[in-house]
Amino acid sequence: MATLSASRGSTGGVPVSAQGGRRLDLNLDADELATCVACGLCLPHCPTYRVSGEEGQSPRGRIALMREVAKGAAITDEFVDHMDSCIQCRGCETACPADVPFGKLMEETREAMVSGARYQPLWRRLGYRLLGAPRTLRTLSALAALAQRLGLLPRRLNLPHLPLRRGKVPLGSPTGGGEAVWLFTGCVMDAWMRDTHVSTARVIALAGGEVMLPGPRAACCGALAIHAGLRGDAKRLALRTMDAMPGQAPILVNSAGCGAALKAYGELIATPSAEAFSRRVKDIHSWLAPRMSLLPATVAAEPEVVAVQDPCHLRHVQRAHLPVREVLSQFAVVVELDDEGLCCGAGGAYSLLRPAEAAAVRERKLAAIRRSGAAKVVSANPGCALHLAAAGVNVTHPLDLLAKRLEETP
Amino acid sequence: MKRAAKAAGVGLPSALIADLRAATSPDRVRVDPLERAIYGRDASLCVGDEPAVVVFPVTPEEVAEVVRACNRHGRPFVARGSGTGLAGNAVPLGEPVVIVTTKLNKVLSVDAGERVAWVQPGVLNLDLSRHTAALGLHYAPDPSSQQVCTIGGNVATNSGGPHCLAYGVTNAHVLALKVVLPDGSLAQLGGLDPEPAGYDLRGVFVGSEGMLGIATEIAVRLMPDPPEVATLLLDFMDVSAGASTVSDVIAGGLVPAAMEMMDANAVKVVEAFVHAGYPTDAAAVLLVECEGLPAGVKASVDLITETGQRNGARTVRLAADDVERDLLWKGRKAAFGAVARLAPDYYLHDTVVPRTRLVEVLEKVYEISARHNLTVVNVFHAGDGNLHPLLAFDSRTEGVMDSVHAAGEEIVLASLAAGGVLSGEHGIGIEKRDLMGHLFSQADLAAQDRLRACFDPDGLANPSKVLPSPSGCGDLRPQVKVPAGAWV
Repeated sequence: MATLSASRGSTGGVPVSAQGGRRLDLNLDADELATCVACGLCLPHCPTYRVSGEEGQSPRGRIALMREVAKGAAITDEFVDHMDSCIQCRGCETACPADVPFGKLMEETREAMVSGARYQPLWRRLGYRLLGAPRTLRTLSALAALAQRLGLLPRRLNLPHLPLRRGKVPLGSPTGGGEAVWLFTGCVMDAWMRDTHVSTARVIALAGGEVMLPGPRAACCGALAIHAGLRGDAKRLALRTMDAMPGQAPILVNSAGCGAALKAYGELIATPSAEAFSRRVKDIHSWLAPRMSLLPATVAAEPEVVAVQDPCHLRHVQRAHLPVREVLSQFAVVVELDDEGLCCGAGGAYSLLRPAEAAAVRERKLAAIRRSGAAKVVSANPGCALHLAAAGVNVTHPLDLLAKRLEETP
Repeated sequence: MKRAAKAAGVGLPSALIADLRAATSPDRVRVDPLERAIYGRDASLCVGDEPAVVVFPVTPEEVAEVVRACNRHGRPFVARGSGTGLAGNAVPLGEPVVIVTTKLNKVLSVDAGERVAWVQPGVLNLDLSRHTAALGLHYAPDPSSQQVCTIGGNVATNSGGPHCLAYGVTNAHVLALKVVLPDGSLAQLGGLDPEPAGYDLRGVFVGSEGMLGIATEIAVRLMPDPPEVATLLLDFMDVSAGASTVSDVIAGGLVPAAMEMMDANAVKVVEAFVHAGYPTDAAAVLLVECEGLPAGVKASVDLITETGQRNGARTVRLAADDVERDLLWKGRKAAFGAVARLAPDYYLHDTVVPRTRLVEVLEKVYEISARHNLTVVNVFHAGDGNLHPLLAFDSRTEGVMDSVHAAGEEIVLASLAAGGVLSGEHGIGIEKRDLMGHLFSQADLAAQDRLRACFDPDGLANPSKVLPSPSGCGDLRPQVKVPAGAWV
């Protein structure tokens, strides 16, 4: 079995050396912290507990640690490590019968660690900033793609095959006069998986939508910044993103992580306009499912068998994973994985920052995929797709699969 | 490691720690003060000491080496699985070494023909059934925490579960055990033969709450999946009508696979979590499951429906498919956690009363709770009279803990007075240790203590649990006469 602790210290995952006797004000809401009754039902739904079997790597244990520190216990390296090792998949929230707001508690704890425990060193912060600078990101991505072709990138980075060129996302609709919608393009996804945006825009147009792109101001949703505890950075990115997509038109998102973040602007920015913005956000599948009948018939003689991997931020956070099946079932045979939506280990930047744990968690997902018997997997989140592809899984975005099928349909 | 030891401060048993590191590996021996603190609790309210060290063995040999190291240093030890115990069974007392078994989580072998599996103690109960699902087999005891509790913990507490009504509790499903005895030596108890020779030490070990050693390999019986399953939800406008239905069904000659009852408060919190269509205006609901051959299941469903209606059931709902069935059971099994919707803390009790006196004891439970101004939620295994009154409260309220303890003790005593026993399935642990004298005589307790001493003369294995210390137990005298036939 995988042992997380064996990788401690070797992953660079612990950026801070807390001094003994150091206190940290976590600024957590006492009532929210009190909601956990320690029943333990979250444990098997926590990917890091699943591979470690350690209380400190479980939601219940992490809350117990927060409580100890909130009561005045000194923080230790182990505390920081147990907080940093959380993938923030929020599978525990779906499992929790008491509705403990674990994701919020973890984000706030990390925010406190940034200011009080020297969590997030400069190089990490610069990395997160880069996501909001599309031109630099594209240039670096192109350079990395070139280096990859030349065999200069170390394999242990486990990067996917990076594209050298990116296609153009078609705007508007072929007939004109459709329902105006924004397509949020994001940072890494736009740099590395532009083809999926192209597919998405084509499908939207065929389903009667008229695509508008937000441009470089909406460069990054800020999800990774908020997960890292960099709330200030996240707010700046959120305000820019809101600014880039004015009006009333729905905001369609084909990345589960970004969609979850955009839907949470109401809480992050806490203004009526941010709340209104969040209400306009829809995962692409939720928008598309009731419009599938508008698409040309895609029924193939032999529909493809695909296993659905639910991105955590679609299933556990947005709780909008069922429309993916509604969309897929019209042209493919959908196979469910038997792991109750357990995280795949990608977790945004997690797979880069804690590769050993991310790979151990992924092993369970790979086993579930093998058990399903499906040769192809669909995933509606770029992070999950890249993480699974790096392990050799044949993984596609549902919209890519649909666009391809529509192309093949005479 | 130096770093961790420094952070932990002085006073750590360094020679013991060195031995434990040698017995396992340095990164699996933890002395960080915060890490130790979180291993000081389980899912109960029982408060113990912080463990001196937390250790994570990955093989049975490592478990034995750790126990031997504890013996050399005269240090007590406590085995712990997922920490879902509800009586403080694995809460450390006396600054012991906590031996966490969760990394021993392999299903070692499955013999589909003989319907036997050998598993390590850290295998999760539900994972075992998932592992054997493709063979059409499952592990029958299904505690409400089955998705997270370990088989090792089930063995320690002789766990029950809804379906134990028909199939018996853990003891009936454990065939053999390979154990590390408290002195670090190895032994096998029981065997796969139908009737192993000698004393049934396996039966002694199951339910011994970690006081007789640590099971490192467990042979469990697997059951064939039933060809037909029917799940019924009956709802009643008063609790006694539900309880009478339970008695009448069993008196009618039928023992369903499971018969669970939830009262109004329970139904409300559960429905808010699972949205399974539980009737939130009912005074009580019965969740009944019948298994077997199709014709038998149909006859059972008819009998239960008729009995329910005769007792005034408002509706009888038959789950249409597996999805509906799973959702109903998810609600039942998450009931305790869902109580957090009422208050942030709960004290869950576990007593057994004769089925015929369920109504009377339930009324007493409501009366006791009302008198102490506490919210009570009742979710229980009605078919075998196993009550789980659950007191919901906010521990930050001044003086509430005193009320909770007083009410809890009154509930236990009321159950005993009705001919019941202290625990149906959670065990005694710390929680009921000092109530043992209410049920057992000095001679009974002394006999239990002598048995324990045969296995563990030095008292190192999970000390200060279950049996009251001799001084403490002198203060308590059985207040009730144990009636003939009580399930002691």
